[in-house]
Amino acid sequence: MASVAWSSTRWHSCSGTMEWEEEAACVIMCASVKYNIRGPALIPRMKTKHRIYYVTLFSIVLLGLIATGMFQFWPHSIESSSDWNVEKRSVRDVPVVRLPADSPIPERGDLSCRMHTCFDVYRCGFNPKNKIKVYIYSLKKYVDDSGVPVSNTISREYNELLTAISDSDYYTDDINRACLFVPSIDVLNQNTLRIKETAQALAQLSRWDRGTNHLLFNMLPGGPPDYNTALDVPRDRALLAGGGFSTWTYRQGYDVSIPVYSPLSAEVDLPEKGPGPRRYFLLSSQMAVHPEYREDLEALQAKHGESVLVLDKCTNLSEGVLSVHKRCREHQVFDYPQVLQEAIFCVVLRGARLGQAVLSDVLRAGCVPVVIADSYILPFSEVLDWKRASVVVPEEKMSDVYGILQSIPQRQIEEMQRQARWFWEAYFQSIKAIALATLQIISDRIYPYAALSYEEWNDPPTVKWSSVSNPLFLPLIPPQSQGFTAIVLTYDRVESLFRVITEVSKVPSLSKLLVVWNNQNKNPPEDSLWPKIRVPLKVVRTAENKLSNRFFPYDEIETEAVLAIDDDIIMLTSDELQFGYEVWREFPDRLVGYPGRLHLWDHEMNKWKYESEWTNEVSMVLTGAAFYHKYFNYLYTYKMPGDIKNWVDAHMNCEDIAMNFLVANVTGKAVIKVTPRKKFKCPECTAIDGLSLDQTHMVERSECINKFASVFGTMPLKVVEHRADPVLYKDDFPEKLKSFPNIGSL
Amino acid sequence: MQSWRRKSLWLALSASWLLVLLRVFPLLRLAVPTRPWAGAPQGWPRWLDAELLPHFSQPGELPKDDLQPPRGPRGGSCDWGSCFDVSKCRGGRLKVFVQPVAGPISDAHRGILASIESSRYHSVSPDEACLLLGLEAPAGECSPVPPQWNGGRNHLVLSLHPAFCPQTFQLGQAMVAKAGPTVDTFRPGFDVALPLLPEAHPLRGGAPGQLGQHSPHPGVPLLALAEERGGWRTAGADSSACPWDGRCEQDRGPEQTHPGATLPNATFCLIPGHGPDALHFLQALQAGCIPVLLSPRWELPFSEVIDWTKAAIVADERLLFQVLTALQEMPPTRVLALRQQTQFLWDAYFSSVEKVIHTTLEIIQDRIFGASAHPSLLWNSPPGALLALPTFSTSPLDFPFYHLQRGSRPTGRFSALIWVGDPGQPPLNLIQAVAGSQHCAQILVLWSSEKPPPLRWPKTAVPLTVLAGQRKASDRFLPHTAISTDAILSLDAHSSLTTSEVDFAFVVWQSFPERMVGFLTWSHFWDEARGGWGYTAERANEFSMVLTSAAFYHRYYHTLLTHSLPEALRTLADEAPTCADILMNFLVAAVTKLPPIKTPGGPESQPPAQDCINQMAAEFGSMPLVSSRLRLDPVLFKDPVSVLRKKYRSLEKP
Repeated sequence: MASVAWSSTRWHSCSGTMEWEEEAACVIMCASVKYNIRGPALIPRMKTKHRIYYVTLFSIVLLGLIATGMFQFWPHSIESSSDWNVEKRSVRDVPVVRLPADSPIPERGDLSCRMHTCFDVYRCGFNPKNKIKVYIYSLKKYVDDSGVPVSNTISREYNELLTAISDSDYYTDDINRACLFVPSIDVLNQNTLRIKETAQALAQLSRWDRGTNHLLFNMLPGGPPDYNTALDVPRDRALLAGGGFSTWTYRQGYDVSIPVYSPLSAEVDLPEKGPGPRRYFLLSSQMAVHPEYREDLEALQAKHGESVLVLDKCTNLSEGVLSVHKRCREHQVFDYPQVLQEAIFCVVLRGARLGQAVLSDVLRAGCVPVVIADSYILPFSEVLDWKRASVVVPEEKMSDVYGILQSIPQRQIEEMQRQARWFWEAYFQSIKAIALATLQIISDRIYPYAALSYEEWNDPPTVKWSSVSNPLFLPLIPPQSQGFTAIVLTYDRVESLFRVITEVSKVPSLSKLLVVWNNQNKNPPEDSLWPKIRVPLKVVRTAENKLSNRFFPYDEIETEAVLAIDDDIIMLTSDELQFGYEVWREFPDRLVGYPGRLHLWDHEMNKWKYESEWTNEVSMVLTGAAFYHKYFNYLYTYKMPGDIKNWVDAHMNCEDIAMNFLVANVTGKAVIKVTPRKKFKCPECTAIDGLSLDQTHMVERSECINKFASVFGTMPLKVVEHRADPVLYKDDFPEKLKSFPNIGSL
Repeated sequence: MQSWRRKSLWLALSASWLLVLLRVFPLLRLAVPTRPWAGAPQGWPRWLDAELLPHFSQPGELPKDDLQPPRGPRGGSCDWGSCFDVSKCRGGRLKVFVQPVAGPISDAHRGILASIESSRYHSVSPDEACLLLGLEAPAGECSPVPPQWNGGRNHLVLSLHPAFCPQTFQLGQAMVAKAGPTVDTFRPGFDVALPLLPEAHPLRGGAPGQLGQHSPHPGVPLLALAEERGGWRTAGADSSACPWDGRCEQDRGPEQTHPGATLPNATFCLIPGHGPDALHFLQALQAGCIPVLLSPRWELPFSEVIDWTKAAIVADERLLFQVLTALQEMPPTRVLALRQQTQFLWDAYFSSVEKVIHTTLEIIQDRIFGASAHPSLLWNSPPGALLALPTFSTSPLDFPFYHLQRGSRPTGRFSALIWVGDPGQPPLNLIQAVAGSQHCAQILVLWSSEKPPPLRWPKTAVPLTVLAGQRKASDRFLPHTAISTDAILSLDAHSSLTTSEVDFAFVVWQSFPERMVGFLTWSHFWDEARGGWGYTAERANEFSMVLTSAAFYHRYYHTLLTHSLPEALRTLADEAPTCADILMNFLVAAVTKLPPIKTPGGPESQPPAQDCINQMAAEFGSMPLVSSRLRLDPVLFKDPVSVLRKKYRSLEKP
């Protein structure tokens, strides 16, 4: 009880302005002022009333819990568990559809199709989540006139794929609200189906309509002898998510190029191996390689010896050993895919088909794929930046491949290895990952303003977390004519406030003055009492006495530059403020302030410490007087991480440290301290046991730093050794010729 | 107090019990399935025999593809692999030969030719060139089949303005770079999409972007709509439900029509998709108005490398109302980023004809030298790919530009590069002062005097190397391989600096690695009387250049100056050392668009000897220099506190 009461009395003293008083002229009588700028904190009152309140609350919660428990274990819920959510049936029980021999066949795929010509976006009307709605046709078994099945009803992978879509946010069971239709007819592998009859089955789907808005998934297109690079089933306007497109069949911006799923992904457990040096420089692990290319590879092996390894099918394996998991070089047997982890670069060579499942295995092993397949459209190339994860070599340059790879710097190779592994984890790993990435791509085309960015698709999570993205990245010096808006936060120190207003209004570039009146119990002075100044003066009354009111993005702020200033900062000269604004113009993405502070690592206590002494370094500026871009007000109010905002309001302290953290974290840049330090003590403050107050204040500020560092998960503040002064500051030069002569005076 | 304590204990206990319960409940929930609720979506069934389903391909089937020789293109169409012969391109750099044009050519055409000829891509012989460039005549003139046509192989037909004459020869295997292609005819990865340039587009330099501030001004209207006559019509946020001409004729109250080709002043610029409206597109880009293209039919300029999702919105006019709602609700963060990106792209790739052509060639060079191509980051963040040469490095952190963007700073020390011209006096004091710095890694003496260098040099803590110069002023800016650090401290034999000054300036440079950090300053000004630029060494309240006789900068600027600037500028610099100074300052300012930084120290600067600032400004096409009004001092500089507390105390001397 005592400690709570103390903290409230604390703020009645002038400790709130402590930061300034140690160095600033404390002109108004701190002692004579009832409340300071921060105002009174709430005093909790724990009386009998509250005891009753707590007991009642607790019993309600307890009763609620018991009721929930009863409900949960009620017998009927167990009985009905057999039909929850989705039905369980056998694939053999699905209805059979007989296709007459003369039923219609769709047109062949239309190569000129694009989203604006063949896709009906009206079906994807307004959607607050900006995600397309996908409908899946129910499973049927199709037979021809004589009762012979058209294809395998469904493969395990296609079932997995449809399950993934059904479980995702994209799914809808309402055919009328759907934007995209996915047939349950399995065309993943062209070799397992009868082309004409499958096409007939597609054409009789209830919303087929020339295939508009229908999406087919195919991983193994074409068949002997000429192996087309896209599914041969006539499909009219349907979109194709295909593995193994070439530039000739791929309709850019319409089709989606997907990986060929490698079943080994699920079968083999392969622990991740980080980037770094590996035993082989270049490895080829594919079994069926065109003899011409195998000759090229063998030649490379002969030329470069141990660093190149070319593997082939095993011919002399004993019974029972799965040949898929072994590769051989002469008589030496290697485990596949484990051997891929021994190489830095792995060849992914085209076979009869362009898309090769080995690509997936190679990425998984963190081996950089060397793609040798002319005109191949790499998986998800619409969004993935394959330059960062692979090397594409033209087929005719295959003999030079070693030299090309040798020229890549080591740092870049490691980056590529990491990127390759990340692509596998995010987009290749499972059928589900492939399905969802495909739908995301199509969804992003329809709602482009909500699309994922390049960074979201391509940056691995570690990079996403550690990188900063400066919201004000454009090098731009705002025109001086714009001026700045001064925001004075005040509680009820009217006399001092008026002095600040008068002083600030002398600054040439001031364009507007905003007083944030943080006292709900008292009205601001009448209009006639305010000082008459040359710029508009607005008073904003707040609903609650909170420190974050200082950083609210008020509509009244029209300029980009904001000067936050306390209502007791009267010692800054007009020259100093104007110079501060000029410095902000050169660094518009930083906090530009007057008193600088430093954070230090306390080795004894093993935590951060706040430092306000005369140091050679700064990492923070106080927002009692600081210029910054108004966008940071928006960030502070709406994007402050964790509970920092509430923490600041509850403690009535550290809003400036929070702002320093926020800006440094988002821009990655240091603050700019302007002008020399002013050294003035507040005589009144030291009179009221200044020393001990000073110490508790420091302890509290240090706590803030530690708290914020833990919320941000890192220490974003940057330490620098410089401050900004006018070019001719303290130079041997006539004072009257200097632009800002009145700096560091008083 | 006692009872209070007991109560709080009791409260704490019950709270923890609650927590335990809450923890346990989810587990219970798992154990007992929830009841189905009415109308739950009937998803894809969970098949009882899902585990028994066959795989889509048998384990052995995948690798057992039939062996089939690779096939060539069908139907005469082209892609990069089949129609471009990479084997002609050697030496790590694109060599371009421009096809001579028969007959008279226009001024614009001549300008383009001159620009390519002075660029780093130019080759005089068609035999050693790997790309042959055919310029399409701007108007009317239809060119015959050029010599060395060879079916169009390795040819680029560049058509900056829409050609009205029918194609007189078959394009064959030639790549086409033309303005505003539709996605139907465009061959991705082979053709290049260009912006449609207005007739009067400047050849070089170009107008800067119009964006004065990062965030939209509160009073600016949300939307501007491109009109068919060429102007822009703005609409406020409230009337945005129908900014569409023809559909809401009755409501023209708050809207105004801007005649002519003025730039729009709005946050978003709606551009309808009836025709190739690239003029509007470029206008919006220059104005910093986020282009909203209402048709996905057009291939956006340089879409192969530029990530347009960062600067524009390509929507479908069929979903107009959704688009408008999305624009209104777009979070400020995104608006801010899109606006800034439009300005960067305009400045980097579109503001002059020269930039457009160089970008085209750079794209083709990236295709040819795939492994050493620009990463996407270099194309899509300032200063852009034309100024970040991949021959220097492809790793962003080797360049000076990306440290601050990523919140990092360069590590390592600096190399002092001392240029010794006539009369060839070895700068012994300077060497001692610089070698005394804890951040100095090496000292390089560039001996550029007639007198032979002395055989004995003073013993220093760091290695000292003497390089032989060719007695030209631009010598000092060559990318000498001996420079092993990112930072260079460029010095003249007659410079005088103290160790403390060097130490502090280096620490400042680490915070601003893309800028020049120096001691001596000049400032430029517009001389009304002479109608030209002038510059002065007099001490003033602002400055825009620092002298390279004592300045820190990134070693990349040596590469950039040597390999990207036109020959004419480097010859100019050779004429006088001051010109070399100005050239370096121009280059860095043009790249960063920021002023240099001054730190305390150094002697008085020399008055400039020769006036070449106007020639430079003409060659650059504009005046890139930016003025600064501040100096960076140590935090406690000349503060009334004990000198013993100060780290850079010897800077205090008057």
